[in-house]
Amino acid sequence: MKELLLTGNQAVAHAVRNSGVEVVSAYPITPSTPVVEEIAKMVERGEMNAKLILVESEHSAMSACIGASLGGVRAFTATSSHGLAYMHEMLHYAVNARTPVVMAVANRAIGPGWNIWADLSDSMSQRDVGWIQLYCESNQEIYDSIAMAYRVAEHEDVILPVMVCYDGFVLSHTSMPVKPDDLREFTGEYEPLWKVDFENPETHGNILPPDYFMELRYEICRSHAAALKIMERVEREFYETFSRRTPLIFESYRLDDADVAIVTAGAISSEAKIAVDSLREKGVRAGLLRIRCFRPLPSHRIVQALRDVERVYVFDRSVSVGSEGQIFQELRSAFYGFQSSPEICGYVVGLGGRDVTSEIFENAVTGRINSEWVMEVVV
Amino acid sequence: MFDCYDLFDEVQLFYVMKWEIRLHGRGGQGVVTASKIIAEAAFAEGYQSQSIPFFGAERRGSPVTAFTRISEHEIRERSQIYHPDYLLILDPLVMRTVDVFQGLKSGGGVVISSPSAIERDVFPNIELTVGLVDGVGVSIRNDLVVAGNPVVNIPAIGAFLRIFPEISIECVEKIVLEKFGNRSVRALYSSYDETEVFRIRGSREKKKEERKKPEKVWIPASKPAKGVAGITGYWRDFRPVIDYGRCTGCLNCWIHCPEGSISRKNGDVEIDYTFCKGCLVCLAVCPRKAISSEREVSA
Ligand code: SF4
Ligand code: SF4
Repeated sequence: MKELLLTGNQAVAHAVRNSGVEVVSAYPITPSTPVVEEIAKMVERGEMNAKLILVESEHSAMSACIGASLGGVRAFTATSSHGLAYMHEMLHYAVNARTPVVMAVANRAIGPGWNIWADLSDSMSQRDVGWIQLYCESNQEIYDSIAMAYRVAEHEDVILPVMVCYDGFVLSHTSMPVKPDDLREFTGEYEPLWKVDFENPETHGNILPPDYFMELRYEICRSHAAALKIMERVEREFYETFSRRTPLIFESYRLDDADVAIVTAGAISSEAKIAVDSLREKGVRAGLLRIRCFRPLPSHRIVQALRDVERVYVFDRSVSVGSEGQIFQELRSAFYGFQSSPEICGYVVGLGGRDVTSEIFENAVTGRINSEWVMEVVV
Repeated sequence: MFDCYDLFDEVQLFYVMKWEIRLHGRGGQGVVTASKIIAEAAFAEGYQSQSIPFFGAERRGSPVTAFTRISEHEIRERSQIYHPDYLLILDPLVMRTVDVFQGLKSGGGVVISSPSAIERDVFPNIELTVGLVDGVGVSIRNDLVVAGNPVVNIPAIGAFLRIFPEISIECVEKIVLEKFGNRSVRALYSSYDETEVFRIRGSREKKKEERKKPEKVWIPASKPAKGVAGITGYWRDFRPVIDYGRCTGCLNCWIHCPEGSISRKNGDVEIDYTFCKGCLVCLAVCPRKAISSEREVSA
């Protein structure tokens, strides 16, 4: 397959078309708008046999996707920032109703302090709704993630929605070479375990009193745990099909013999790799653990991977206001109770599109950054 | 050092008076209001009190539970009541679907609003004081039928005061007068006077509690089927009766019945009394006034 130079948003659109999505519903918001514009063109040109439902809000977009999914078809939407926040109620709905919708989230800060640029606040604010969350580093990974997301979401042990997150502009509007493999066979036909069936009517989303509600939530949590196992399988199959290693849970980069480890998610991880290489050249045995899947959090696997390092430097492109960066919080709690825990420190970087360079990671590791908030763009 | 908490615990153990009351009835009967009135009256008498509603499906006629706690000290519980000292049963029909006596303490008190006597084998095998009153009758006689529903909560409170001396009827009267006016006060007093109080040791042996473990819940979906909410016909105080001489078959009642218990058969409408819950919506919407109501006495 010939490589194309695609933006992150275009990569999403190509992947959606090539994954056999049948219903797309969306409302435009920067920086995810071009995803749907691209899909609209594909539908118009007849390249994509899907129904495009344009609605008046993100809340309705998600509702339409849930309806489509309950109707037994593969559904997709894309959004960002305020749009994602506006969907919040229906994000819960999609989880509890068990609709394996896939959504692309071009990560963007939330205003006011009107800001259209990248940080992960929007999707991090939705970490507790029960969606599986994948974070991407490159446009190829975005492309691959869409197809892999459907495989995980629709697996009978999972049946949960997945959001594929990628930094706004930094990836969404930046073009990179992408190999647009034919994903049709990999994603296969969607065979729903249940769907709205007019011959055999059921009430969906009905009342569930206290005697039953915990059981519903319990199964959702169990499915999250099961999702990690399914992801391992999907990773393997993806490699066997396309000869390309696209991690789903996390990526370990030069971590095997590392003394210090950087932990990140999203596009800044790519800069962190430059820092790791540079540190290694200077004799510091550094490595990177790049989180791909933040929900479910692969705590055990992360602890395994970082057990032997001395120090861990966590970089969050978001902050839980009143506390700390989300990945930082969760990493420390993953290590709770382990005797040999590395020292873990956390930094907040790159909010609202402030640029993040490899020098920031390098300086943190070599002790040249003393604040938990990295304000300056070190070049 | 003097530890005041230890002392407080001991004082509580020996001296604190505390009563827990559980109320059973059906949506529309004022169960929650009764729980509130009792709590307010106890509070006015100088006690600490708490009234907790527990709502099920918001549906007229479905079983409803409420709880009242009365204590001399701060009430720390926020949970439901599992071992009540008193029970108020506003509707004897609830006993068919809910194990109302569950957890009732020996020596406790029970108020039952029922038009007929209650058999001994209905009560559990413990010492009980019972206050029995025909709440519906009191309500009808005092003109307390609201939207087709006889108000039974005020009569039940009247009966309760006969077996619970901590609250004076004058205190309740003030609250009832302010909230509901004269007719309710009259109903309160006539029920207080009419209540038959007796002691009984029931003969029903405790059923072994098998807590039903819910099946795996995957999706919030259900199949519509006849009678999934149980025999809703048990909820009925009044029975709608169609006068076929007047009925024109316009189907207005059929389309309005919230329980789907009116069916069309050979051009005639027909009420399924197994599931008709007695809400009398059909009576209200019939343009020919072809539906009348009869009191159910088959408690
Ligand atoms: S038949 Fe009439 S009274 Fe009975 S449930 Fe239907 S509307 Fe209510
Ligand atoms: S509404 Fe009255 S007249 Fe019409 S079908 Fe029902 S009973 Fe008959």
